[in-house]
Amino acid sequence: MSRSVDKDGFPAYVSAWEDRIGAFLELLEPGQWPAAQTGGESSPVAGLPCGVKDNIAVEGFGLTCGSKLLKDFRATYTATAVKRLEAAGARVIGKTNMDEFGMGSSTDNSALKRTNNPWDTSRVAGGSSGGSAAAVAAGLVPFALGSDTGGSVRQPAAFCGVVGLKPTYGAVSRFGLVAYASSLESIGVLADSVSRARDVFRIIQGEDPLDETTIASRIVHGVHGGAADSTSPGSTKNAGGPEKILAVLDPVSLAEAVGSAVRGAAALENAGRGAETGPGSAGAEAQLINLLEKEVLQGYSKAIEGFKALGYRIQEIVIPSLAYSVPVYYTIATAEASANLARFDGIRYGKRPEWAENPEDLIDKTRAMGFGPEVKLRILLGTFVLRSGFQDRYYLRAQRLRKRITSEFLSLFSAKEGSKEGPSALLMPVFPTRAFGRSENGLGGPALSAFAQKAADIFTCPANLAGLPAIAFPASVEGGLPVGVQLLGAPFSEELLCSIAAEYEAEHPIPHPEGFQSFWR
Amino acid sequence: MYQSFIGLEIHIHLLTDTKVFCSCKAAFGSEPNTNVCPVCLGHPGVLPALNKAAFDMGALVARALNCSIPDRTWFERKQYFYPDMPKNYQISQFASPLGQQGYMDMVIRGQKKRVRIKECHLEEDAGKMIHAGTVSLIDYNRAGTALLEIVTEPDLETGAEAEAFIQQLRRLVRFLRVCDGNMEEGSLRADANVSVNLRGAGLGRKVEIKNLNSSRFVRLALDYEIERQKEVLDAGGVVKQETRLWNENRDQTESMRSKEDSHDYRFFPEPDLPVLEIDEAYRSEIQGRLMELPLDRMERFVRDYGLSLEQADYICEERALADYFEAVVQAIEALPKEEAARRVALWLAADVKRVMNRDGVGADGIGQWSFSPRRLAQIVELLGRGAISGKIAKQVLELSVSEDRDPLAIVQERGWQLIQDPELINRYVQIVCEREAGSFDEAAAAREGGNLKRFETLSAYLVGKVLAESQGRCDALLVKEHIEKKIGEAKKCAC
Repeated sequence: MSRSVDKDGFPAYVSAWEDRIGAFLELLEPGQWPAAQTGGESSPVAGLPCGVKDNIAVEGFGLTCGSKLLKDFRATYTATAVKRLEAAGARVIGKTNMDEFGMGSSTDNSALKRTNNPWDTSRVAGGSSGGSAAAVAAGLVPFALGSDTGGSVRQPAAFCGVVGLKPTYGAVSRFGLVAYASSLESIGVLADSVSRARDVFRIIQGEDPLDETTIASRIVHGVHGGAADSTSPGSTKNAGGPEKILAVLDPVSLAEAVGSAVRGAAALENAGRGAETGPGSAGAEAQLINLLEKEVLQGYSKAIEGFKALGYRIQEIVIPSLAYSVPVYYTIATAEASANLARFDGIRYGKRPEWAENPEDLIDKTRAMGFGPEVKLRILLGTFVLRSGFQDRYYLRAQRLRKRITSEFLSLFSAKEGSKEGPSALLMPVFPTRAFGRSENGLGGPALSAFAQKAADIFTCPANLAGLPAIAFPASVEGGLPVGVQLLGAPFSEELLCSIAAEYEAEHPIPHPEGFQSFWR
Repeated sequence: MYQSFIGLEIHIHLLTDTKVFCSCKAAFGSEPNTNVCPVCLGHPGVLPALNKAAFDMGALVARALNCSIPDRTWFERKQYFYPDMPKNYQISQFASPLGQQGYMDMVIRGQKKRVRIKECHLEEDAGKMIHAGTVSLIDYNRAGTALLEIVTEPDLETGAEAEAFIQQLRRLVRFLRVCDGNMEEGSLRADANVSVNLRGAGLGRKVEIKNLNSSRFVRLALDYEIERQKEVLDAGGVVKQETRLWNENRDQTESMRSKEDSHDYRFFPEPDLPVLEIDEAYRSEIQGRLMELPLDRMERFVRDYGLSLEQADYICEERALADYFEAVVQAIEALPKEEAARRVALWLAADVKRVMNRDGVGADGIGQWSFSPRRLAQIVELLGRGAISGKIAKQVLELSVSEDRDPLAIVQERGWQLIQDPELINRYVQIVCEREAGSFDEAAAAREGGNLKRFETLSAYLVGKVLAESQGRCDALLVKEHIEKKIGEAKKCAC
């Protein structure tokens, strides 16, 4: 059974959009789509096409990770999450573009293709799962898999106006996800509705013997501590049950947090240069003071008002360690990346030079020509922070801070169980800006420097550091571009987060870019 | 005036069916690159999954070496680039290895010596790079097979001690059936750290020696290196901290790389594998799998069976041989335990060993040999209670092995029981004495004349003839009695 409502005109619709946004690195024509596996007919994804980020292995497709080095590499096996989707009847129809190895916030770090935002093709789609977000936003697929290491599902979801779910660490198998930062990332879902994201999550989650960091399903069903499984959005409304509370950050602390992230990231960058204050850091900071867009604050305020209208009590909170999250995130992520990317040496697979003097020369040449500048930067940074004699100053210190950040977030949500007074979830912006442009003076607004893009991970990377689930969804459209917000919750509270997001979605339908058509139920 | 300090790092290949982090077969001698999968080839996106059997074997060795198993143990990534290492990092253990702070007692020159064990850690092996002319080829069959590295404290002093340690550790891991201990094939590999300093002045500057693929090379290389370092110190020089290779063709160590070139491995915890929490239930499960270890068994054999240390050492070289020995002793009912044990030990070290060598039966395969402990027990018993002669016993051994039949049946069927019936013996004596009348008369005369030496020579000659006549079946002692009696009677008649 195909869930496509109207296939007439679909091929033309896809190619018209794809020409403009370039979401896919590899895309099957509707006539070439694989047949849905039998057995999953009753599943909510039966017959549905989907996209898969090109760092997740699907046998028969490429697995480029957006890198020149893996341009011609074909996956030799299929990721566990994709196998589960296929068993439920979903059909993988293409691989989506991404920042090289997941390193970036725009998808412009792809070495293979440029992906544009469907709302404004002069702007970026976000990243690193930009292809997946753009494909869903344009209606080319009802959902796509992405991966979220520091916000790579939620941020492009916010930029493109779709739903992005980053599951609890260990809820979804990473087997088949090309590792960038193993302890931080998880496979996530980009979808055209909250309920679709939840459906897909339910299928892909669960323990996997091939990934020993997966945790046996401890999915908390029901809402606000209730035991009943809730699938209808209205069920969270107060009907004499416990009070519904959402934690929020007030605008002043938001601005402060962004400012401190800028200073923290600057310190990290300078450490990499081996100087306390490096050239350009003052200028970088100056640009970043105004990093938080007023449109993002407007969207965030609207979301808060929206939840108030839904009967939520809003509790303003402070998370002192939030300021450390960006430097801690980049220290740990780059350390892990330096090891994870070491296997790309051109010896067993991947693009390699025509000629090399010896194996060492082969490895040097392969990596010099195969990796892009952002990837090289992060490998160098990771190698630096792991040097013997320096671990205490960087890597181990970051791990200690990570513990502190984790415990601050966990205590925020655990208060609820004891006193019934604490919040169910924390509502935060996703990114300080809406989808940004590519140039200083040209169309579509200014570009965001690579440095600013890192500092701007402040709202997304805490969920990765603490291993918490988070769902991003559109709060409003401001100045012609969607603004996303996200809900963070306790580990394995995906169902609860989806229910809360679905309440908002029922009152504030997902917006669509001009020319959007829905082909999927 | 000098003191030397030797510490060993010994890698053993664990005898697991599959590799340590994937389900590929861990076999040697297969076609190159046939026992490989995306995981052990380090393809993008794969994750390791720990082979519990490998961990269990590691824990077993750790306990046999009196190491403690920590409450929490985990893996680290050890990073360096090498073409035969698929991920360009090795999953190993660093901060909390599975075995910590133990010791192994060894016997050297009849003395017991305790060597402290720093740690045992589990890790994956790399592939093999083969240089063939202008190309380099890599076989990844070995990549990802399970290794246990055993690190000692610098408690050894000489090449001979290091050699003995390796031999006794090899025996231990073979006893535990976790490693085949073959150094030539690389199933057991040793690196040595050695330093020399003035006695009482503590450790000297450390030199690491690699490429020691036999326990003999370990001894030669260390003795060479200790002398070399002494010469450097004697000349007022400073030993350079470096890694040296043993050159087996030149019988010397040669510099490979200095400390400045050494790797910074940038260890950090392996995020793909969870921390392992060890509880009491697991500790007792491993304890339950520990059996009597070689040294303890040797000591028991000396104590309970009255064997010499050399006999016990030989028999305990292989667990299967020691098991065989005890099964034979157990099966012998007609003799006291100690006597049975001593006789069995002699057989195993001589005639049985000879047949095994000839037929290519290894000591480790003796448990599967058709010549079962019950069969050897029958031979020892027959001989022990005087039912067959020593010569017959050897023949019975040969036949029992070649015909795959019980010794009792062979002896009965061929009528090889010793002849002890006085009448039968007398009949043989009679025949021989008549045929050898000259010798007989001379013996009688010699005895008469008091020439005892001549008499004994001649009577022994006659005993031999009787035994030959009976094809070895007559009881020699009885024959001797009969002959001497007969000579005595001959003299009487002559009067």
